[in-house]
Amino acid sequence: MLDKRRFIVGAVLIAAAVSYLIYAGVRTTSMYYFNLDEFLSSREAHADEDLRVKGWVRHGSVRWDPRTNDLAFELAHQDDTSPVPVAYRGVLPDMFSEGREVVIEGRYSAGRLAAHQIMTSCPSKYEPAKAGS
Amino acid sequence: MAALGRLAICLALLFAAYATGVSILGAIRRRRHLVRSGTHAAYAVFALVVVAVAILLHALVEHDFSLEYVAAYSSSTLPLRYTVAALWGGQKGSLLFWVFMLTLFTTIVQLQNRERNRELMPWVTATLMTIAAFFLGLLTFVTDPFERLPIPAREGADLNPLLQNYWMTIHPPSLYTGYVSASVPFAFAIAALAAGRLGDQWIRSVRRWALFSWFFLTLGNLFGARWAYEVLGWGGYWAWDPVENAAFMPWLVSTAYLHSVMIQEKKDMLRVWNMVLVLLTFSLTIFGTFLTRSGVISSVHSFTQSGLGPFFIGFLLVVLVVSGGLVVYRLPELRTPATVESFLSREAAFLFNNLILVGIAFAVFWGTVFPVVSEWVRGVKITVGPPFFNRVNAPLGVALLFLAGVGPVIAWRRASPPNLWRAFAGPVAAGVVAAAALAVAGVPLGYAHSTFALGVFVLGTIVQEFWRGMRARQAMLHESPGRALSRLVGKNRRRYGGYIIHVGVVAVFVGVAASSVFRVEVQQTLAPGQEAAAGKFTLRYERVTKQDDPHMSRLAAVVSVWRDGKAVTTLTPEKRFYKKPQQPTTEVAMRATLTEDLYLVLGSYDEQSGLVTILAYVNPLVSWIWIGGVIMALGTTVAMWPTAAERRAPAYALGGVRVTAD
Repeated sequence: MLDKRRFIVGAVLIAAAVSYLIYAGVRTTSMYYFNLDEFLSSREAHADEDLRVKGWVRHGSVRWDPRTNDLAFELAHQDDTSPVPVAYRGVLPDMFSEGREVVIEGRYSAGRLAAHQIMTSCPSKYEPAKAGS
Repeated sequence: MAALGRLAICLALLFAAYATGVSILGAIRRRRHLVRSGTHAAYAVFALVVVAVAILLHALVEHDFSLEYVAAYSSSTLPLRYTVAALWGGQKGSLLFWVFMLTLFTTIVQLQNRERNRELMPWVTATLMTIAAFFLGLLTFVTDPFERLPIPAREGADLNPLLQNYWMTIHPPSLYTGYVSASVPFAFAIAALAAGRLGDQWIRSVRRWALFSWFFLTLGNLFGARWAYEVLGWGGYWAWDPVENAAFMPWLVSTAYLHSVMIQEKKDMLRVWNMVLVLLTFSLTIFGTFLTRSGVISSVHSFTQSGLGPFFIGFLLVVLVVSGGLVVYRLPELRTPATVESFLSREAAFLFNNLILVGIAFAVFWGTVFPVVSEWVRGVKITVGPPFFNRVNAPLGVALLFLAGVGPVIAWRRASPPNLWRAFAGPVAAGVVAAAALAVAGVPLGYAHSTFALGVFVLGTIVQEFWRGMRARQAMLHESPGRALSRLVGKNRRRYGGYIIHVGVVAVFVGVAASSVFRVEVQQTLAPGQEAAAGKFTLRYERVTKQDDPHMSRLAAVVSVWRDGKAVTTLTPEKRFYKKPQQPTTEVAMRATLTEDLYLVLGSYDEQSGLVTILAYVNPLVSWIWIGGVIMALGTTVAMWPTAAERRAPAYALGGVRVTAD
């Protein structure tokens, strides 16, 4: 039986290692995922912190300079209310356009979101063709 | 015709329900004629599903836009291969395709087992037909693939341009095959529990099915990675997206099972554990389907919220409760006295391999559901992204690679010092030399470095195994080296096939490590004639070219490429603007070699100034991921190939009842 106990110790050690990795991973890499309203109500508390915000690209707000790849637009509700300015430098995602739902990953400071990633959802027509889907 | 299709599905549902009921009754009352009736009903289900699939395919190929599905996922100008692929391009069609695969496998299983597994088969039939009935129920009551439009459309909306791709024709079917065939081991596990036949019989019967399912899960995942790499244009092949995780988790657990089952066969240990792994693999396929269809978890592949989520979660709960209950009910009989004697033994190495694989699966699961859990528990949605998965899985992956070198060659029960010396002196020396050489060559210490060094160690153990096996045959049987090698593999297919798979795994590990750690990424805005540097490459943007046809317009940047000062090629990354539906897509240009891929994306183009923004990625050793995949496929084929004895008795060979001596 001694050996069985020893094995259990080994298994527990591995389980503990995995748990610790998960715990540490979550602590260092997790970020808030807000919808626009949640973001608006708590943005000051989360200034200068990486977070994700979901909203819509406000119609008529997109300014894009293809020479510098500077993008400025406003994130808003679907009906274009409560806009928040967003700044981004980088290539435009294919699916990015006015009125589309996007998720911004970035930091909020001084009244605007500095995005380092813009995630677009595919057009609603698209049902996944992948994985059991 | 469409009405006929719907009728076929409704009838199939009735037959599936009948097959389930009558099989269970037959099993409990031990009435052979009832069992036989269940089997025949299952054949009928398959035939009816074939009819339904044929009708939907016919409608697609004939462009019958009065059907909602056909109008939504194809058009009259869509090439034939994508028209056929549209069968699994949308939700309803893919569910029908799923049932098709499931009933096809059910039929094969029944033909294989006509004379065998009398105790198990009624339960197997009942389980498989229950799953079929669930999917048929969805198709009958919730999401009808033969739904008619009130007014027939004049033209279809077409398949999404992102899906109009070579991989669309092979990636989903591979993954479905892997997913759906996981039902067969599951059905046998349930049958073993229900019938109380808990010995090795069921395990032997599903061995080849488990390998078959694993094989297609492997291919499906790699095809998906390749697809993402070629098409999506972000320079990578794996993003830890929920959809990818959904396909990865069953693969991990299935991998664990394929290893731990060997311990059960050899030492009659781990019966409960193996049972749980099989049940878990199937549950994860259902969970994956739930993930991708419910919209509960936001994914970059955004999904239409189809309303199917609750059905899948309900079905998953039933599966978990029934399997969990059966395991608990049979627990006293499942327990075995054998135990691990020493950490330095093959049993222990396999066990740790299993714990790590399941640990990775759990980490992936946790990261995937974390947003939902945090929302329940704390009321706020917190996400973890790729950094989480990479951080957690890199050390676990390295540990796993190490065990891949240890497990196959360490002694059973308890390894003695002479055994350790004989098994590991050479490979460890090779690994140490490789580690030193890599460090001298300037590879920084870290995950990539350890992966390369451990890769050499694992390859060392494998080469040593082949070499010693071959030498032994040469010495004893006086065979020529080539003959000795082929006989060695031929007589122990499972063992040496497994080694070949490990060679592929090493290649995949090396490719993943190198391309994750040493990748170079450059973004440059260039005027015609201007140059940019990316790693060893110099890129010169020459000009743009434009093309226009009724289907799409294309804008391509012509980029001349030098490597170490030598002109190597000209690449033309493109933007395409599809006209229907209106959507821009990125066409990546790539120069792939064994050492590295140069991957170019046309980011943007300014009409007035002629400036383009080019994204350049230099991804080292990515090709080895795909090569590793091919090697793994080869190894699996070797492991699955029937032995000579099985080929002589083909009726029995199909099921893989026989165990090769290894």
